Amino acid sequence: MNQILGVAADEWRYWRRSHLALGGAIVFLILVISTSLLNMLRIDAETHARSQNQTQAEDTFRAQPDRHPHRMVHYGHYVFRAPAPLAIFDPGLDFVTGQSIFLEGHRQNTAMFAESSSSADFGGLSYLSPALIYQLFAPLIIILLAHGAIVREREAGMLVSLLSLGLTGSRLLLGKGLALLSFIVILLLPLVLTCLFAVARGETFSAVLSLFGAYLAYLLLWGVIALWFAAIVHKRGTALAALTGLWFVMTLILPSVAVNIASNKAPVAGKIETDLALLAEQRGLGDGHNANDPAFAQLRAELLAKYGVQRLEDLPMNFRGLVATSAEEKLTTVLNEYAEKRMAGEVHQEQILINHAWLTPSLAISFVSRSLAGTDLAHYHRFQKEAEALRFSFVQGLNRAHAEKVSYEDDINRNKSEASWQRVRVSAANWQVLGAYQFQTASLSDRISTSLFSLRILLIWLLAFLCLFLWSGWRIKP
Amino acid sequence: MFGCNLEHRATSVSQLLLGFNVLMLQADSLHVVRSNKAVLNDISFTVQRGEVYALLGGNGAGKSTTLLSFLGFLLPSQGRVLVKDKDVGADVMAARRAISYLPESASLYEHLNAIENLQYFLGLAGVDVTLGDMDTVLDRVSLAPDARKRNLRDYSKGMRQKVAIALAMLRNSDILLLDEPTSGLDPNAIDELHRIIRGLADAGKAILMVTHDVYGACQVADRIGLLHSGNLVGEFVAQGDDRIDTNAVHTAFASKANSSSLLSNPPSSNPQLSKV
Repeated sequence: MNQILGVAADEWRYWRRSHLALGGAIVFLILVISTSLLNMLRIDAETHARSQNQTQAEDTFRAQPDRHPHRMVHYGHYVFRAPAPLAIFDPGLDFVTGQSIFLEGHRQNTAMFAESSSSADFGGLSYLSPALIYQLFAPLIIILLAHGAIVREREAGMLVSLLSLGLTGSRLLLGKGLALLSFIVILLLPLVLTCLFAVARGETFSAVLSLFGAYLAYLLLWGVIALWFAAIVHKRGTALAALTGLWFVMTLILPSVAVNIASNKAPVAGKIETDLALLAEQRGLGDGHNANDPAFAQLRAELLAKYGVQRLEDLPMNFRGLVATSAEEKLTTVLNEYAEKRMAGEVHQEQILINHAWLTPSLAISFVSRSLAGTDLAHYHRFQKEAEALRFSFVQGLNRAHAEKVSYEDDINRNKSEASWQRVRVSAANWQVLGAYQFQTASLSDRISTSLFSLRILLIWLLAFLCLFLWSGWRIKP
Repeated sequence: MFGCNLEHRATSVSQLLLGFNVLMLQADSLHVVRSNKAVLNDISFTVQRGEVYALLGGNGAGKSTTLLSFLGFLLPSQGRVLVKDKDVGADVMAARRAISYLPESASLYEHLNAIENLQYFLGLAGVDVTLGDMDTVLDRVSLAPDARKRNLRDYSKGMRQKVAIALAMLRNSDILLLDEPTSGLDPNAIDELHRIIRGLADAGKAILMVTHDVYGACQVADRIGLLHSGNLVGEFVAQGDDRIDTNAVHTAFASKANSSSLLSNPPSSNPQLSKV
């Protein structure tokens, strides 16, 4: 153990005296700290703005005066998705998905890009997140530091001197590995600090620990890869060239190729074609605004038979409100089918992408990171589903008020006189059907369960290269 | 000259007291094959406590291979190598612990100064020494005190060699393996190094050095083995107080090694070759 610690201590001394490595590490730390701060400020501002907008939207809806209930269906309502606490570290898909949805009757609107501040970002420069820096640049710093670990001694003919002291190749490599591990822990300190801010904003310690563990495994993997190369090649230049080439392919080329493969293998229908298909299907469902639409003839017959009356006016409820309710239900079923299909397509694309993590650990860590941070596709889909459930609930609540609190006769004659117009207005108390909404990050066990497949791939990568690392230590000879 | 004889007699007495004639290194019908090529063929020799044995040969003769075999980095294809009567193959680490090895170009870290290098390497070897011990040994190898805190990248080859020798001395192993220890040194440094080597042997160390420096080997060695193309083709032994005759070794070396460029003087017509 003393030998391993001795080698580790000397490696640190070498790094301290090697200005290039030290410089690289300082640049990295400055970059990650500044990005974390900027991201933190941005997320804080967004959280505040969205929370305020949500409250304002709810207050505005509930403060509407007495109206015809169906006008409120079309008046609509906004829901905003507050960022997850760990979005300050990894905004994940939040950068490319909308964060607010306009909820209204007869439609499922897509999420919109809400931040007006985004308009200033013509270069996409604000997309640099701490997570991205860890995923892309930390491996480069590790390569810079570790590529010469054993090959430096080999080139200088020092291996024979070191091994003749009774030091084994494995201990030499473990010593270098220990030094690198401690360096990696230092590299992860800004992550810890950033995550502590997330804890202050409601995140759990366990989630932060899980994220730390995942990044430790990822950076350790790069360290092990770098040391393995350094132990088997004979020239330092070869090690550096091979490792930077590997970094380039794994972090930049393969993820980009994988995205293209996923979008080609599992294409998802675009908005225009989806809207056209929906429109065609919607025609068959009937127009919920028109109680005389033949699509509702059966409903009419059933109701008249059920209540034993001959006229719609004699029904105990407003037939137009019942038609609106029925139409909304049928339409929502269809809309949900389309939405489920689109989400399934996106999940399929994501699965194809995740499978490419067998080729590059960068994809594995990016999925693990997003899942644990609560900024992945699953969270985005859940936001859409929750928003839809809220929409359906308040629209049907209003339709119920339409059916129960407005008489059919008044309703069909509402435009005939001011008095009948006044009679179809229902009390604003009915607008309380709108429930309060706040998006919550999934529980840690759910997040871990979502990330398990990618996490397993990442650990298999690490295990495989740890074996190669230990094997190369055993093979080190002068 | 008279003083030299007295000193040598005194050494002989101390050799008796220290239990000399103990076999520290032994190559027994050693064959080594590297990359399917026989590098050493049936080499046999011994080195005793208090003895300097020089293996002399040209490039590619198998000198360094012999040293690497004693360190267990190369295992014999036939025969065996023994360190302190123990087969190296049976316990490589025990062999390495018993040996201080000085490679041809002093392999030390350039980012460290002399003291730091000594501390680091001795720490790895598990040898506990004080700063005072280090200064004493560095004084013995004549490394200037003001140079000791400078990084080795500013050192000349001779200065590095001094640090490497200091390291070998501080390890206080019973056996020293020296690979071309005088290579690249100036004449004064060579004399100084020879004096140190001789002193270590007289203190009871067994020293195996490989070299192609005929004069140096004759000056310091008790016995010289002549290595040619992996074969031990001759052995010269110092007789009594006399050193080995340089001309005799010259002649044998030139005829066997076919490396006349190494020789600066014509070979003697009276070689004292004890075994060919």
